[in-house]
Amino acid sequence: MFGSSKSSLRRTLALSALVLLTLVAPVVMAQDAEQEPNTEMTGSLSIMGFGLGDEIATTRVGEFERLYPNVELNFTEGGLDEQQFLTAVASGTPPDLVSLPRAELSTYAVRGALTPLTECIANEGIDMSQYRDVAVSEVTVDGEVYGIPEFFNNIMLIINTAALEEAGLTVDDVNTADWDSIAALNETLTRMDGDTLSRIGFDPKLPEFLPLWVAANGGQMLSDDGRTAMLNSPEVVEALTFAASLHDVAGGRAPFSAFRDTWDFFGSGNMIANDQLGVFPMEQWYMNVLADVSPDAPLAFKPFTDREGNPISFATGSAWAIPRGAANPEAACAFIKTVTSPEAWIAAAEERARLRAESGTLNTGTYTANRLADEVIFGEIVGPTGSDVFDTGVETILSLQENAFAIPANPAGAQFRQAWIDAVNRVLNGEQTVEEALNQAQQEAQAALDEAWAQSES
Amino acid sequence: MSAADRKSQTLSLNQPVPAMSGRMDSLGFSKSVQRVIFIALLILFTVIFFTPFLWLITASLKTRAEVFNGEWIPDPIAWENYINVWRVTDVPIWLRNSLVVGFLASITVTFSSAFIAFGFSYFRFPGRDKLFGLVLATMMLPGVVTMIPVYLIWQRLGATNTLTPLWASNLFGSAIYIFMIRQFYLSLPRELFEAARVDGANYFEMWRHVALPLTRTALIVVFVFEFKASWTDLIKPLIYLRDSLLFTMPRGLKAVLDQFGQGGEMQWEIVLAASVIVTVPMIIIFFVGQRYFMDGIATSGIKG
Amino acid sequence: MASNSLVARSFWGRATPLQRREMLAGLGFISPWFIGFLVFTAGPMVISLWLSLTRYDVINPPRYIGFQNYERMLADPRLGTSLFNSFYYALFHVPLAMGVALGLALILVRVGRAAGFFRTAFYLPSVTPAVAIGTLWLWILNPQIGLINRGLELLGIQGPGWTTDPDWIKPGIVLMSLWSVGNTVVLYLAALRNVPPELYEAARIDGANSWNQFRNVTIPMISGTLFFTLVVNTIASLQIFAEVYTMYFGNMTGMSAAASAGLFYNIYLFRQAFEFLQMGYASAMAWLLFVIILILTIFQLRASKRWVYYEGG
Repeated sequence: MFGSSKSSLRRTLALSALVLLTLVAPVVMAQDAEQEPNTEMTGSLSIMGFGLGDEIATTRVGEFERLYPNVELNFTEGGLDEQQFLTAVASGTPPDLVSLPRAELSTYAVRGALTPLTECIANEGIDMSQYRDVAVSEVTVDGEVYGIPEFFNNIMLIINTAALEEAGLTVDDVNTADWDSIAALNETLTRMDGDTLSRIGFDPKLPEFLPLWVAANGGQMLSDDGRTAMLNSPEVVEALTFAASLHDVAGGRAPFSAFRDTWDFFGSGNMIANDQLGVFPMEQWYMNVLADVSPDAPLAFKPFTDREGNPISFATGSAWAIPRGAANPEAACAFIKTVTSPEAWIAAAEERARLRAESGTLNTGTYTANRLADEVIFGEIVGPTGSDVFDTGVETILSLQENAFAIPANPAGAQFRQAWIDAVNRVLNGEQTVEEALNQAQQEAQAALDEAWAQSES
Repeated sequence: MSAADRKSQTLSLNQPVPAMSGRMDSLGFSKSVQRVIFIALLILFTVIFFTPFLWLITASLKTRAEVFNGEWIPDPIAWENYINVWRVTDVPIWLRNSLVVGFLASITVTFSSAFIAFGFSYFRFPGRDKLFGLVLATMMLPGVVTMIPVYLIWQRLGATNTLTPLWASNLFGSAIYIFMIRQFYLSLPRELFEAARVDGANYFEMWRHVALPLTRTALIVVFVFEFKASWTDLIKPLIYLRDSLLFTMPRGLKAVLDQFGQGGEMQWEIVLAASVIVTVPMIIIFFVGQRYFMDGIATSGIKG
Repeated sequence: MASNSLVARSFWGRATPLQRREMLAGLGFISPWFIGFLVFTAGPMVISLWLSLTRYDVINPPRYIGFQNYERMLADPRLGTSLFNSFYYALFHVPLAMGVALGLALILVRVGRAAGFFRTAFYLPSVTPAVAIGTLWLWILNPQIGLINRGLELLGIQGPGWTTDPDWIKPGIVLMSLWSVGNTVVLYLAALRNVPPELYEAARIDGANSWNQFRNVTIPMISGTLFFTLVVNTIASLQIFAEVYTMYFGNMTGMSAAASAGLFYNIYLFRQAFEFLQMGYASAMAWLLFVIILILTIFQLRASKRWVYYEGG
């Protein structure tokens, strides 16, 4: 009872804020709304899925608090948990704002758990063209935008140059456009001590990077409209067949992953520093780990390419969204706009640069889904890292961003993913052939998609 | 067996139980060989059970680059991990919340379950075993599917985003502990209760002055089990609490984990240091409680 | 229920005043549980039973679809796999855990000096956070450098792929589970302490050797506790979730070989409910498990009358 009276109070507050807003909006708009604190916006904002962990978070939130001093922020700390979020939604007390992985957003959006941001974008004058297209496409369902992209993470090749050198090769010999040469490179760089694997030549990172191999092969796992699974198309079959075959030199999947599990992934004795891996495609955050724990390891970075030699990447990241039934959508919208604006990102990046300089650690940058922000961050703030190797890493990531792709928005995200991941595992475990596994995955994925779309449209 | 006999027995209970003794003798081993084997087994098992915790402690004292390097002695010792956990989180507040919830949850469930278990063991009436079957049945449905309806009930009671849902349903007993204490009650000779009845005790007094003291061990076991269950529970705090000042330790730990694991970049040393901070109070509680697992009966025998 | 109340009524008619008083008092003692059951348990159970007849994504109102969820379960190969996995686990875990716990309790009960230290040490794994346990066991079980396979190597045995070979994933998980039997050990310790020493004395005078003493004195005297742990461990092991979820399903790389070999019933159920948003289907799954466990428990209760000994009856 107490809860409901509180929320009706909140609703009244929100309503009066709305009335106030419509009255003063033209005036505020006329002035420079970006710089002057807005004291009319009031009420509180409950926020899920976001933690005030580092300066990138706190600086941007600080920016909002400066601009909207009368809005009270309540963070439910920690990453978004499905049980927590869905219980809140089911009980009619959703948070006002939620930060969630873009890949999951459409699952909730299609089922009506999120509010379309059409009005928010119009009222706050949010310029959608500043965000990267592929990220925007992930949060767009049936032509309506449900989320504003935040981070933008990519995949690139991380290369152990010591292993290359030992084989008399250079970074130029790592050519992902030519799959025969990948296989040859894998064979050359794989090292066995007797029966025991002691270096993996080329780790294809299956099952999780299958989408990357498929895209490199010119294929697609799901149609652009998110309705038709294409998991047993020839491009997918060929991509999986090839990527899976990279385990063979090592004696198959079992010894391969047993060895991989022995790596000290986060330590100074990681698999690059310890010469346990030749080449692998990896998410960009791992560059930060390496910069932190083994900055002097024999490293090189390079884009992963399709078979025509164009750089490609599989992009991931989070987005902000407003749950349906949120008590204070206007303030939520203002919050989203503020924390994803170039100004906030730039302030955050400056703060990070200052802190890194202070502690004498490498600053490998912050990669946002906001193109305007990134231009300033990498044009003016993040200078040379002080290490040529990591400078090329930063450049590599920047060069990839325009060529990144994502799995199209669809309402069965988790089930779709489960279908192809299980298929890859069945192949690697030797339980099914590539065709059998992908045919089964195709059926499962299509059934899940059909059901989810049908449900959302009824 | 009379009540008096029983009492004299319980008095002698703190001598070691010769459960397996003599086995080796009959196989022809000398006492000293037997003792060596016993000590070897004890040490072996202690190492097996102690090692992982030792690993946790040493790893939590390493720098980030060395957490998983397989060395047993951290070099250098990174005390700052603990300072960082303390500095960046509300650990003292979370500890207090966990202690409050753990204590309330354990004390309520111990006495309510003991009370209810008495109804299911001493009295004989038709339908009793069917009702007891219903108690057991409540343990058999996976909690995932009742979680949201239960949440709605607490919401109706206005108790969400408070610590209440984390312990208050324990006022009504818990199936597993009712079952457990019932087993202990069933092992008490009925003559004890008849003797109390002859002395003019009513049913409540029979429970309070005969059943309760004689099963003190079981009560302490229940207390410790529930304290541990409450101490490590993540799901309830996760769905019921939004305000970080209300968090319990595991809920706070999850926030720390998410915060220091952003984008896969795990700061393991912080996570492990926080894990140690979560574990140590529980070990202390257990260490204090365990004395009674064996000595409790003897003491209660004297008093009862 | 109707026949039940009939029995009760005819009992009431025939009962002596003492029997009537006992019935009322017994119900009085039970009443707190009954109130709690009505307020917090009965409703949600009935609701979940109803939800099993609906399509419910947790976001939109449930829609009645009859028995479709149950029909779908028949055709779901993952359901069969996960049920098999959970039974496999329970079949090995329950007897092994009870055996190991009893062995440990028999050792601990004889420790004289520093008993508190040893008891605490044996309980440690039960209080160590799951994140540490999962990480550590992936390391202990690692086929190449893990402690177990290195130990086997010393004996000249090539150890299996505990974490990488689908056939060995479940044995590895059973092995891990035996390490946190602390709760069961504690219960057995308490029960062993309850065995009157006179009984051993008497058995020895009758010429029983230690095995006979163990069989004819120890086991019957702690049978009430053994029965409790049998029932509770069976229920819990068929619902195994947290340990495996953190070990194999928390991150992507780990789950590779365990994807189907480590897919336990409650893990699959959880994913249906909160990842795939199929709460209706998950509810149907939950009720299937409920019925299975219920039948098993009734069987155990029936069988217990033959081997469980209660002094007080």
